[in-house]
Amino acid sequence: MTLMLLFLQIFILDELSIALWLRPMLFPLIVLLLPMEWRTIWVMLIALAVGMVMDLAQGGSGLYTATLLPLAIMRSSILFITTRRSVEAGDQSSLFSRLSMRLMMIYVGAMLLVHHALFFILERLSFAMPGMLILTIVCSALLSLIIAWPIVRFLGSKIHNK
Amino acid sequence: MHRLIEFIKRIYVLVIFLLVEGVALWTYASSSPYTEAKILSRTTAVGGAISNTIGSVEHFFSLPETNRMLTARVAELSEQLEAVGGGEYSRVDTLAQGMSERTGGHFRYHEARVVSLTTNRLRNSIILDKGSADGIAKDMGVVTPKNELVGYVVLCSDHYCVVQPMLSVEFSTGGRLVDNGHVCMIIWSGQSQYRVEAKDLSVYSEPHEGMVVEVRSERLPEGVVIGTIEEYELNSAKSAYSAVVNIAADMSRLDNVLIVENTHYGELQELQTQLEVNR
Repeated sequence: MTLMLLFLQIFILDELSIALWLRPMLFPLIVLLLPMEWRTIWVMLIALAVGMVMDLAQGGSGLYTATLLPLAIMRSSILFITTRRSVEAGDQSSLFSRLSMRLMMIYVGAMLLVHHALFFILERLSFAMPGMLILTIVCSALLSLIIAWPIVRFLGSKIHNK
Repeated sequence: MHRLIEFIKRIYVLVIFLLVEGVALWTYASSSPYTEAKILSRTTAVGGAISNTIGSVEHFFSLPETNRMLTARVAELSEQLEAVGGGEYSRVDTLAQGMSERTGGHFRYHEARVVSLTTNRLRNSIILDKGSADGIAKDMGVVTPKNELVGYVVLCSDHYCVVQPMLSVEFSTGGRLVDNGHVCMIIWSGQSQYRVEAKDLSVYSEPHEGMVVEVRSERLPEGVVIGTIEEYELNSAKSAYSAVVNIAADMSRLDNVLIVENTHYGELQELQTQLEVNR
């Protein structure tokens, strides 16, 4: 799954030149959809590895890593804010299996929005054209969410079947 | 000890996150001149604002001492005023205005305070609390109230400016021996924060210990002191002298400084550009 998402991002999505303000990014899903029961340190290590792969592949010089790492830290807080669910200590059952598809998409959408905001702000380092920046963040996050929908659905059905 | 281990266990994820995030941001910041300049200007502005706040607090607590010094100075000046007959000097000029008048018109002085400074790096810098909104621009000279060279403005934001001091390996300016007018190049090798080097002094310049070296640059008026020669030597080809110059300004204790604006500087730059084009 991880390899598939990386392949999709590097060889297909990053090669598409739809518009300057429309750049979907799916690779954050690798971090977002890791089991919530995992310890933050492991999630952070995976975020670091994915970020470094993206930086090497796309010449990001740390940009991908710097914007992906905060997601590992913020995951449980954003899940709680968007779905009012939290991971209980010692809970071994998959939290995602107990989330409805609607709540799951709200969580994924919020995380993608946070990631896209961090990414585009850090990439531009300028608030000279705030309208353009907001348009890029919102449209790209929305398109990412639309592309992510079938992937999340497929994963959700697999978890529910277990 | 047990509590310490518990505490570390509780925050180690955050510490690792901050470390890795810091490394990633630093790598990204130094990946291109654009990101470097953007992040540097943001951090400079934030650092400047913090240092300014701390500086203001320190300044507030040093007010009694400043008051005492000012009172003594007022008394001294009053005595001098009496001695020269009163009326002629009845207007109390600021130091900057006084110096502007003394240099004959086309040099203007702006008072500024040091917000932060470094002296222990190879590329030191000084941040002053005046910026482009106060009429400060790149290439203006910076001197102490005693007319000793500090450096040149290299970067300006609206309310702050960054000065490249003599204590930077990238610094260079023209110098002149006061006694005989021979010119030289002033650079810093990074070895001592109290000394700079005078290079390319003519073999006829006869330098000696204690000789005063002043600035020779279109950015500053005559009379701005760099320091005094401590030692000198003839190069192996016997074609020029080089000298070690003791810096006059105490670079580690700068507080109030003067930024010097040459109002003819644009004109001079234009001439230089034309000269380059004609070549």
